[in-house]
Amino acid sequence: MQVFWLVLVPWAGLLGFVFPRTWTKAIALIVSLFDLLLFTTLIGHFGTGVNWNWIPDLGVHFHLATDGLALFLVGLTTVLVPVVVLVSPRVERPAYYFWILVSESAALGVFLAQDLVTFYVFWEVVLIPIFFLLSGWAGDRGRATAMRWLIMNLFGSFFMLIGVVAVGMVHQTETGHLTFQLASLADTAFHGAAGPAIFLAFLVSFMIKAPLWPLHGWMPSAYGDSPPPITALLSGVLSKLGVFGMLRVLVPLFYPQMRAWEPWLMALAAVGLVYGAVIALRGRDVKMTAAYASLSHMAMISLGIFSLTAAGAVGATFYMVAHGLMAGGLFVILGWLERGTGTRELSALSGLNRRLPRLSAWFQLFALATLGLPGLAGFAGEYMIFQGLVRANVTVAAVAGVVLVLASWYMIRLFQGAMQSQPREDVTARDLNWGQVGLIGALGALVVLLGIWPAAITGHVGTLRPAPYHVVALGPKGGSAR
Amino acid sequence: MMIPTLEPEFLMGIGVLVTLVLAMIVRRRSNVAYWSGLVFAVAAGVRSFTLHPVTHLAGGMMVVDSYGLVVNVMVIAAVVAGLLLSFDTERYTVEFPALILLAGLGGMIMGLAANFILLFLGLELLSLPLYILAASRRDSLSGEAGLKYLLTGAFSSGVLLFGMALLYGATGTVTFINYTTLHLIPVLMGSGLALVVVGLSYKLAIVPFHMWVPDVYEGSPTPVTTFMAFGTKVAAAAALLRVLAFGFSLTSGVWGLALGYFAVLTMLAGNLLALPQRDLKRLLAWSGVGNAGYVLVGIASHTVSGAQAALFYLLPYGMAIVLAFGVIRVLEGSREGAQLDDLTGLVHRDPWLAAAFSVALLSLAGIPLTAGFFGKFYLIKGALQGDQWGMAIGLVVATLVSLAVYFRPIQYMFRPGEGRSAQWSPGAVVVVAGAALVTLFIGVYPEPLVHYVTQAATFTWLR
Repeated sequence: MQVFWLVLVPWAGLLGFVFPRTWTKAIALIVSLFDLLLFTTLIGHFGTGVNWNWIPDLGVHFHLATDGLALFLVGLTTVLVPVVVLVSPRVERPAYYFWILVSESAALGVFLAQDLVTFYVFWEVVLIPIFFLLSGWAGDRGRATAMRWLIMNLFGSFFMLIGVVAVGMVHQTETGHLTFQLASLADTAFHGAAGPAIFLAFLVSFMIKAPLWPLHGWMPSAYGDSPPPITALLSGVLSKLGVFGMLRVLVPLFYPQMRAWEPWLMALAAVGLVYGAVIALRGRDVKMTAAYASLSHMAMISLGIFSLTAAGAVGATFYMVAHGLMAGGLFVILGWLERGTGTRELSALSGLNRRLPRLSAWFQLFALATLGLPGLAGFAGEYMIFQGLVRANVTVAAVAGVVLVLASWYMIRLFQGAMQSQPREDVTARDLNWGQVGLIGALGALVVLLGIWPAAITGHVGTLRPAPYHVVALGPKGGSAR
Repeated sequence: MMIPTLEPEFLMGIGVLVTLVLAMIVRRRSNVAYWSGLVFAVAAGVRSFTLHPVTHLAGGMMVVDSYGLVVNVMVIAAVVAGLLLSFDTERYTVEFPALILLAGLGGMIMGLAANFILLFLGLELLSLPLYILAASRRDSLSGEAGLKYLLTGAFSSGVLLFGMALLYGATGTVTFINYTTLHLIPVLMGSGLALVVVGLSYKLAIVPFHMWVPDVYEGSPTPVTTFMAFGTKVAAAAALLRVLAFGFSLTSGVWGLALGYFAVLTMLAGNLLALPQRDLKRLLAWSGVGNAGYVLVGIASHTVSGAQAALFYLLPYGMAIVLAFGVIRVLEGSREGAQLDDLTGLVHRDPWLAAAFSVALLSLAGIPLTAGFFGKFYLIKGALQGDQWGMAIGLVVATLVSLAVYFRPIQYMFRPGEGRSAQWSPGAVVVVAGAALVTLFIGVYPEPLVHYVTQAATFTWLR
């Protein structure tokens, strides 16, 4: 039942509409912290959940449960949302906080879903709060940005809906039993053109949501124009949905298709990896540099999954959590930087470490974590993904190695450009106050903790053997694995 | 035996008479006729709910099965919505309630008809009062609407009648159950069936028989449009499904494919042509055309799931469209119709109205947690069960187009600026709140309706 409450509690954000506007932030904070508290009661309790017969006549269950894959992403979400709320403006329309909380609820639902229809319902519900957030708060072009987000994502989702139904129907034809439970569907074998077609429908939807090159069309304006808390939410939590879907749905259900298409998938992800890094390297805008770095990292995570090795899958899971913390922290810091200095132009910033030592120090920590410094969270994930890549495809591993060098380059370029060299006289910014330091310090502590103790996650992801790890470790139905 | 099974129809019929008489004897300004119409409609609806289905009546002319009863309840819901939205004798005429009730009775009979004669009677009973109602406003738009509706209606009735005559000539019977054993379709019978389908397609607004829809929806008074969008569509779709899936089940090879193309064409054309509309009633009219295409997907797939999905989808669609027209009725106040610009800033002026309209539009777009999502889910399942991938893809593409249609009004509501302010009436509150709650309830927990529909729309000889 806790799992269900976890998804339900954020809707208490509706209270924000009832109380005076000055209270809404406090209400949202309390609600999101309560959700975090609920998560802490779940730690170590794998396999708890609810499984209700939602629409028996259509074989649909409402099935939410924790497993090694879901639990850590739930943790990431419940940790990041209070941060997002905290760095938001003190007085804001109640809808702003309500939509943030709804997106939290929907993301949690996607992470916890063990039934394909439950998964799909939450998958689409995510789009609505973000549509409203972009529409109302992403500047002058917000409406167009929101429309692009919605139409691109629903383009994927609606074809995925055909895929969802088709998987159930194929399973029914084979077994005579109509169900959408992911555990049962994993046995489904697809014949003829149906397999690749359904696989493609799912893949495209996941790639758009992540986003992965070349389906990232909505990303630049959405990341760039949103207020920093929303960018942190998008990049920290919601970008994980796409790659999570690959692990949750694609690997167990479509292992043969993935195996057959593997060179193409890896090539696609490798191009995205390089593309994001190169754009980030040329970026003149601090926030856009971080956004394209995030695009590149998403490609890295998907490479870990496409390698179809146990190390790659575990590494991808770990890196999802690590990237959520790092990207969330980075965008929060860049938000403070922008608010303090009034600009995002790299050329207009320089020498801030003299004037803003605290901000500069924390920026350095997150930049180093993002480029994959050993001892910080990014490294362990990248290492495991590499392990998988070397086993699967050495060429792609080499490309990824080059991109790691590029990543160091663009992160250091960002840091040097903004923080080092001669301070400019005209910048009159205030350094972080202690509340902000405490907030970013908490995130930073998690980044360090995961860096020195990755086993906190990697030791438990396989608990209950969630299907993806099971499949990549053993191969489908006892077949050969790598 | 016959009287108890037909109680809802008798209640409606008596309601028409009582309401007419009341309209004659009470003062012109009294709303008594509305109250009486409402009481009889609600009574008939409740009776339809509690009625035990019986299969055959009057030598196979009528089938009072659970399918017919679902249709009854939906048509009555449309009647009640129309009455509540027009609850004002000063603005609408005193004959208004009696005519809506009479049209509703026609729709109910269409749902029960198992024989072409009765089907035609129901259709005419449904249409004739609507011709009057469409033209009941005293301005040129309304007159145009009434005339257009009358001409296309008369034409489609003629086509339908001609088709029936050909079918009778070919087979010597007009009762659906006698068609069920026919395997081969000779030319005469085929052309008869085609004409019948075309005649019903006019009422259902299937492309290319839809040209009357935008003008009639725009020109008619909003409560009448509400009834047309829900009640007429339900009755026509129900009759079409009964004729094809029940009567001509074995010959689905002949009509299934053609209807599938019409379905895709209708979905795409309806949603594409809704894109440029700035008048909300016209926008919803085109959306109604597109939604008729969705319903047709279920019929054309000719599977158990498809038939169930077609029947199921009528309620999410109907609730959403009633909700949307209810919002327009609140928005238009003493004027007629509403434009997109009138929505500007609505979320600040009247958040509840904005929320209700958003629910309607999200449901029409098929977003989860609203009823429309499960409607689309069900329809795709029906299409795939019949191996009709093309229709499923057509449905998805049309839905994608419709996103731009349905999310634009939502963005208008959030724009800063001064639009029109809302004027709630008690009847509108009931309609808007009721339809919104039903939409959300089905969106969260569709099982009761799904379960009912699985029993109602399972014609035994569907595969």
